[in-house]
Amino acid sequence: MITALSQYLDSIRDNLRLDLASEREVIDELQTHIEDEFQEMREAGLSEEEAANTCIKFLGSAKLVARQIYEAHSQGTWKQALMASMPHLLFALLFALNWWQGIGWLIITLGLVLSMAVYGWLHGRPVWLFPWRGYYLLPVLVAGLLLLYLPKGWSWLTILLYLPLALWLVWSVTVQTVKRDWLYSALMMLPVPIILGWFLAVGKEGKFLELSLEHIRYFAPWIGLSFLALAVTAAAFIRLRQRWLRVALLLLSGFLTLIMVAFYTGGRLGLSAFLVLTLIMLGLLLSPALVERRLRHGKQQPTS
Amino acid sequence: MAQRLELMKGSSESLLLCLISQQPMYGYRIIKELEKRSQGYFKFKEGTLYPALHRLEKAGLIRGKWQMLPSGRQRRYYYITDKGHRLLVVKRDQWQDFLIAMNLIIQPASA
Repeated sequence: MITALSQYLDSIRDNLRLDLASEREVIDELQTHIEDEFQEMREAGLSEEEAANTCIKFLGSAKLVARQIYEAHSQGTWKQALMASMPHLLFALLFALNWWQGIGWLIITLGLVLSMAVYGWLHGRPVWLFPWRGYYLLPVLVAGLLLLYLPKGWSWLTILLYLPLALWLVWSVTVQTVKRDWLYSALMMLPVPIILGWFLAVGKEGKFLELSLEHIRYFAPWIGLSFLALAVTAAAFIRLRQRWLRVALLLLSGFLTLIMVAFYTGGRLGLSAFLVLTLIMLGLLLSPALVERRLRHGKQQPTS
Repeated sequence: MAQRLELMKGSSESLLLCLISQQPMYGYRIIKELEKRSQGYFKFKEGTLYPALHRLEKAGLIRGKWQMLPSGRQRRYYYITDKGHRLLVVKRDQWQDFLIAMNLIIQPASA
C-alpha cells in the first residue's frame, strides 16, 4: 500500500484506543474501502500520489474518524457497568456491614477481586476489568504495611527488595493498561488517593500509617460510602461515550470523594494533607496520558 | 450544501437502514449507491459513514459479516436485523407523515 495511505491508517489505529479485535476489524474495513477507492481513481487516470491524497481527503481527518469510531464503540452495556463497579461495591459492603473485622470475609473479598482480575486478563481484557485491576496493588500495599512491623535493623529488606519490586509492579501494570488506553489507567488509579486519605485519617495520633482499629470502626460507614462513590463513578465511566466527559468525571469524582473524606473525618485530615492528596490524585489520573505519549513517541521514532 | 448536510444528519440512519434492507452492502458500495440513486443529491461524507454503521451495529439494527470474494479479498457486508427491520417500518411511516404534512403547507394551492 502507498506510504501516505499506510500512515493514514496507522494514525487512525493510534487514536482508536479499542480492544485489539475491534481495532483489527475497523482497520481492515477502512483498508478495503481505501483500496476500492484508490483503484477506482487510478482507473479514472489519477497518478498514485493524486489518488492517495484524494482518498485521504474524502475520508477526512484521521483523528476525527478515529474519535467518531471510538465513540460508536466506547459505550459499555449496563452489565459491563455493573461488573466495573463490583470491586468498589464489594469494598463498600465490607466496611458498611462491618465485614472487614472478619478475616474470612476479608480473604473472600481479596480472593474474589484478584481472581476476577486474572479472569478478565485471560479473557480479552474487557472494559469492566480495569477497576478490578486497581486492586492488583492491594497485596503490594499489605506487604508494605507488614514491613513496618519488622524488627529494627531489617529496613534494608524494604529498601533493597520491597521498594524496587513494588515500583516495578506498579509500573508494569500501568504500562500494560496505558497501552490500551490511558483513561483506563486513570480509572484504575482513582481509588489510590482515596485509600491513602483514609489511611492517614484512621492512623493513630501523630503516628503515620499506624492504624487504629477503633478509628476504622468509627469511620467504617463513611469509608463504605466513599467506595460506593467510586462504584458509581466506575459505572458512569463505562456508560459515557465521549473521552472528555470521562476525564471530567474522573477528576470531579476524585476531588469530591477526597472532600468527602476530609469532611467526614472532622479535621483529622488537615489542609496540607488534603492538598498533597489532591496533587497525588491529579498526578495519578493525568500522568498515564504522558506515559502514553512517551510510549507512542518511542514507538514512532525508529520509523521516522 | 450546509443545509443539505443538516437535512441528511437527521435522516442518515433511515437512509442506511433502507439501503441495507434492500440488499446486504459494504461501506464503499453504500456511498456509491446512495449517490447514484439520489442522482448525486446525497453525498455521504466517507469519514462519517463507518462511525454511523458501527453505531447502528452496536444498537443491534444491522450486523456486519466478513465475506471472501472470488479474488481472495475480504469485504465487510452489512445485513439488516429483525430489530432494524422493525425500526425501518416506524421510520418509513414517520417520513411519510412528515412528507404529507410538508406538502400540505409548502406546495402552492391548486387553482
